[in-house]
Amino acid sequence: MKLAIADYLIILVYFAFVIAVGFIIKKKIKSSNDFLSSNRNIPLWITSLAFISANLGAQEVLGMVASGAKYGIMTVHFYWVGAIFAMVFLGVFMMPFYYGSRARSVPEYLRLRFDEKTRGLNAVSFAAMTVFSSGISLFALAKLLEVILKWDFDVSIWIAAGIVMIYTFMGGLTSAVYNEVLQFFLIVLGLSPLVIVALQDAGGWANIKAQLQPELTHAWKYMGNAESNPMGINFMSLIFGLGFVMSFGYWCTDFLVVQRAMIAKNMNAAQRTPIVAALPKMLMPLIVVLPGVIAIALMTPALQSKGFSIPIAADGGLDYTMTLPSLIAHYYPSGLLGVGITALMASFMSGMAGNVTAFNSVFTFDIYQAYFIKNKSDRHYLQVGKVITIAGILLSIITAYIAKSFNNINDFLQLVFSFVNGPLFATFLLGMFWKRTTGHGAFWGLVAGTVAAALTHGLTVAEGKGGWITELYEIRSGMGQAFIVASISWVFNFTTTILVSLATKPKPDEELKGLVYSLTKREPISKGRWYFNPITLGVLLLLATILLNIIFF
Amino acid sequence: MYKRLNELNFVIGLFFTIVSLILLVGSFISTQLSGRINIYTGIVFLIFGVFMILIKGNKNPD
Repeated sequence: MKLAIADYLIILVYFAFVIAVGFIIKKKIKSSNDFLSSNRNIPLWITSLAFISANLGAQEVLGMVASGAKYGIMTVHFYWVGAIFAMVFLGVFMMPFYYGSRARSVPEYLRLRFDEKTRGLNAVSFAAMTVFSSGISLFALAKLLEVILKWDFDVSIWIAAGIVMIYTFMGGLTSAVYNEVLQFFLIVLGLSPLVIVALQDAGGWANIKAQLQPELTHAWKYMGNAESNPMGINFMSLIFGLGFVMSFGYWCTDFLVVQRAMIAKNMNAAQRTPIVAALPKMLMPLIVVLPGVIAIALMTPALQSKGFSIPIAADGGLDYTMTLPSLIAHYYPSGLLGVGITALMASFMSGMAGNVTAFNSVFTFDIYQAYFIKNKSDRHYLQVGKVITIAGILLSIITAYIAKSFNNINDFLQLVFSFVNGPLFATFLLGMFWKRTTGHGAFWGLVAGTVAAALTHGLTVAEGKGGWITELYEIRSGMGQAFIVASISWVFNFTTTILVSLATKPKPDEELKGLVYSLTKREPISKGRWYFNPITLGVLLLLATILLNIIFF
Repeated sequence: MYKRLNELNFVIGLFFTIVSLILLVGSFISTQLSGRINIYTGIVFLIFGVFMILIKGNKNPD
């Protein structure tokens, strides 16, 4: 792939704009709250698009196109089962506690609801996860640019990290959020022409369905048995593992996304943020799943004359990760090629900036201010937040180089994150809806869930991964293994939290007002127009999601 | 104009307008960019960019 002057020009214009946003926002930064939590002053349309964009990192964009090619239309489950329901639940039931408690972060909510040790455990694990995720995102960007454009790995790392550092250092969270919205439009509008052209080239959806095996073009029809679908899981594992445990664990408790709703202007906007974001999320498979399905159809004998192919990986199979770059290289001429490459860069930078801003909020509020220097001036915490932004970027760069040196570090880190994240939703579910849950229960539940996740992984093997204790049970696909690990860890956390809570003393009701459902006075539901009501919006979205599942059954 | 740089919709609109001009002008003056897809995308980007610029960003009901 070779870029022309126009392509470089588009990339430079993008860099200039994201940096300019940082400089424009800088003037508005007066306090640590402005820098780290945007002072709860961001309009709904921006928080909603930033909410979805924070999740639209490179792993998402490249990964879902790759999954579309590997698993076919079943990949839509990550959206229509694994996202929309949890996003609506977050908006309707959980945002009132996050926003109403005035907590500045998810770990801070855990301190208010439970105790300091539960906050500490969550804050430290979250901070480590975000900085490593940011580094992995940086590594993946540099690696991609090295492979497809032959750009120097080191130069790519330092330029991308430098640009993210400039705009997050200047404008903090607001700058990251504003750029996420720009990146959202760039990714969607930059990749839309690819879908249209490739779909047309493949002869339309009807021809794609005719060329591919039926398991690749039906979302549910072949899920009755794990053996009969490419994902290797049955519908029960999918609904509980992905649709409940992993989905709710990510969308309802991960501060990276929840933070975008917590900076909304008021409670109603905070509640509607994930629900409004669910609408573009519901349609996102058109941009990130469909291209993968089209790509694999283009490689069938009937469409081989189109000349498209996915590169071969070192193990002799298809290198699915390269599906999207290959489509861009095949269909985009100079000019639009610059737009496509910029969209890919935007997705990497969006993922990195989201992680860095969540990292500096949690580190400053929940680690530095909570455990090291408590009663300093606001100016002091603003300066610390800025220093932590630089530190977060530098740690990301170090992680990127570690990832370059050790091939398996990415898999290892993702695995450890899943051990920590998998059981987390049980803690929040019990904490918000059962007032008897205690701090000791929450803490030991989290520990038990994490240990159970590690043990399950050590005793099962799938596609050669896991089984590091002993290979007790074989699972057909790595994805199925991930769902089972998450499900077991969730059950262990849930059970342990209940048992320990029943044996320990709960907080008095007075201290739990505004933090637990049964002790919180419900605000009357908005009597204004229907689109101001989170419940009405949520129900409409759920109906639309069910309809899509039926259409692609 | 300078004040409108504080409005995100204006910044996004400006970005897409500039990119659309690169695509449209480039497709007329350079053979490398002469594909129809560049022209169609440029027109869509231009319409989107101008639309975002014309929206009054500060009159958000929230």
